Amino acid sequence: MNIIALFISPLIAIIIGMFFLGLSRKISARIHWRYGPPIYQPVIDVIRSFSQMSISHGRFFDFGIIFSLVGSLVLILFLPIGKLYVLTSGGLIAFLYLMLLSPFGIALSGGASANPNSSIGISRKFLLSLAYEVPLLLVLIAVMTHYNTISLVDIVKIQASSGWAFGSWALVLPGIAYFLILPAILGVRPFEVVKAPQEISSGPIAEFGGKHLAFYTLQNALHMFVGLGLFVDIFLGGWTLFGLLDPISGTVWGIILGIIIFLIKMLIVLIIGLFINAVYPRFRIEQAMKYLWKWPTLIAFIGLIIVMLIN
Amino acid sequence: MNELKKKFESIFNNITVNVVEDNRIVVNIKKDEVLTFLSYLKNLGYEHLSLVSCVDWINKSEFELIYILSSYMAKDEEYQEKEKTKIIVKTRIPRKEARFITVINVFENAEPYERELHEMFGIYFEGHPRLTPLLLERDYEIPPFRKDFDMQNYVDNTYGKIPSIKERKKEQNERT
Amino acid sequence: MDRNQISKWLKNPGKMANKYSFHVVYFCTGCGVIEIPPSITTRWDAERFGIIPVASPRQANLFLIAGYVSTKTLKAIIRTYEQMPEPKYTIAFGSCPINGGMYYDSYNTITSLDKYIPIDGYIAGCMPRPEAVFVGVTHLWKLIDMDKADGYKRYREDYKHYRANQEQLFGDMDWPPLFSKENIK
Repeated sequence: MNIIALFISPLIAIIIGMFFLGLSRKISARIHWRYGPPIYQPVIDVIRSFSQMSISHGRFFDFGIIFSLVGSLVLILFLPIGKLYVLTSGGLIAFLYLMLLSPFGIALSGGASANPNSSIGISRKFLLSLAYEVPLLLVLIAVMTHYNTISLVDIVKIQASSGWAFGSWALVLPGIAYFLILPAILGVRPFEVVKAPQEISSGPIAEFGGKHLAFYTLQNALHMFVGLGLFVDIFLGGWTLFGLLDPISGTVWGIILGIIIFLIKMLIVLIIGLFINAVYPRFRIEQAMKYLWKWPTLIAFIGLIIVMLIN
Repeated sequence: MNELKKKFESIFNNITVNVVEDNRIVVNIKKDEVLTFLSYLKNLGYEHLSLVSCVDWINKSEFELIYILSSYMAKDEEYQEKEKTKIIVKTRIPRKEARFITVINVFENAEPYERELHEMFGIYFEGHPRLTPLLLERDYEIPPFRKDFDMQNYVDNTYGKIPSIKERKKEQNERT
Repeated sequence: MDRNQISKWLKNPGKMANKYSFHVVYFCTGCGVIEIPPSITTRWDAERFGIIPVASPRQANLFLIAGYVSTKTLKAIIRTYEQMPEPKYTIAFGSCPINGGMYYDSYNTITSLDKYIPIDGYIAGCMPRPEAVFVGVTHLWKLIDMDKADGYKRYREDYKHYRANQEQLFGDMDWPPLFSKENIK
């Protein structure tokens, strides 16, 4: 079971991540009143990037992007996709640490490319992660206190056993806070300061071409999957849906339906997020920091106090 | 408008003032008096030098330098007559040994305009701190905006002389 | 996708992916800059063909030069073209890069661009309408299918001629040649 999950879960993550990238391009095109690209367009882009000549800028340039891709892949192993999970120990603490691996890899790679735009992008990336780590930490502490465990798998199981599909009412405020910082974690608008093609010519990936760009796109898809999946696992109850799957739990069909329910929940979160993404312009970096340290932090802090009082 | 005209004519000699249309005055002046006239206008409130331009009158063998001045609008309510007016100061300098005095001391923003004129017309501005190339990269025997610069001839001799890749290949095949 | 397309995809996925995913570096001067934004935004949505603008030449595979080319911008064009990874395609948009257009006798504007970098396709007109971009792109698809869009191969083969032309125009060039010295002479 574990061996199968080890191979299947990254595969699902890459396929669904690419599908979500294509879907997000299509949906934002429809919001702009455009026809939009076909949904499989990111796959074509990746194939094209692999077929192109790649220009390397030294050993660290190659290493960094592989490092960030591997960081995201390891992150997938900690994330329960429906009932499919590989690593149970470590939980949220390890998750928090490993989430920094992929920005770190990109930063390594961008720094090795010695492009001034990359340097600006990297400094913005670390400033932004400094900004969103504070509310993220508060949110995760609230979740860990509420369920009295650090294991993600246990958190999903508790939600399933309690019968209530959508987490707990005490975690509404941390959920809102996490949803507010989700675009910052994914690095999309309105927190697109890191890439910002119009200002700093796509920032850390300014020198990425060919295979490096393809790896970056795959990493981006995985990162999107992880960010959305964590939200679904913590707050929306993972694979549970009002005890619908209780009769067939344990069978293969139960697992497959669990994954499908998990993905549908992710899709709903993605579509709600896309409306924010397609409408709003980009923050400047200091506006983004000010915003992230003010509202999501405040909401997460109030949520943490409420959770502590209830416990 | 006419008050301004009378005022100018009373103070300066050798000056012709035309009111071409509403809010636009053209002043023709001798080249020695340009600097004093411009500083007088600046004190009057025309603080903005919009443009320094030049016309090549090749038949009269003269360059005509044109300074366009306007004034900042202080407030919309206190909209004065002079704030709507544009003053165009024209002067003529000989085409041979084209030299003129710089107006940087009066209007600082004249610096890039004068650099451009030096580059395009070959007018030397005395007292200008740096008359280095601003826009052009190539060397021209005659500055390109002068009327006696033969554009078609120049293009044929530089860009036209560069062979196409096919011709280069043919040339190489003949050589080997 | 019909059966023909699928067999093509299986035979040469790189070529087909290059066809349907043009990441474009736009080099716009003068009036070219007016015609490009409508073609990539809502009215003539270029993204439905997979054409999106990118900010950096490293990520691109199509180079679209719109508008006149002065000697100063030609330097930037050559450097941008040399930074793009292969396979790469070029389209000259408007009559100015083709033969000089209305700047045929200008003191500072080069008359034909294909003496300095290889061009795969031309879109004639002054200025062409945004639809012409898509017509040009569909023609480029046909050329790629027939392996005739080989500008980057020609640049590699005849690099010494292109470099000689560039040096004849600029005199000393302040960047090293793209390919090795043996390739030049």
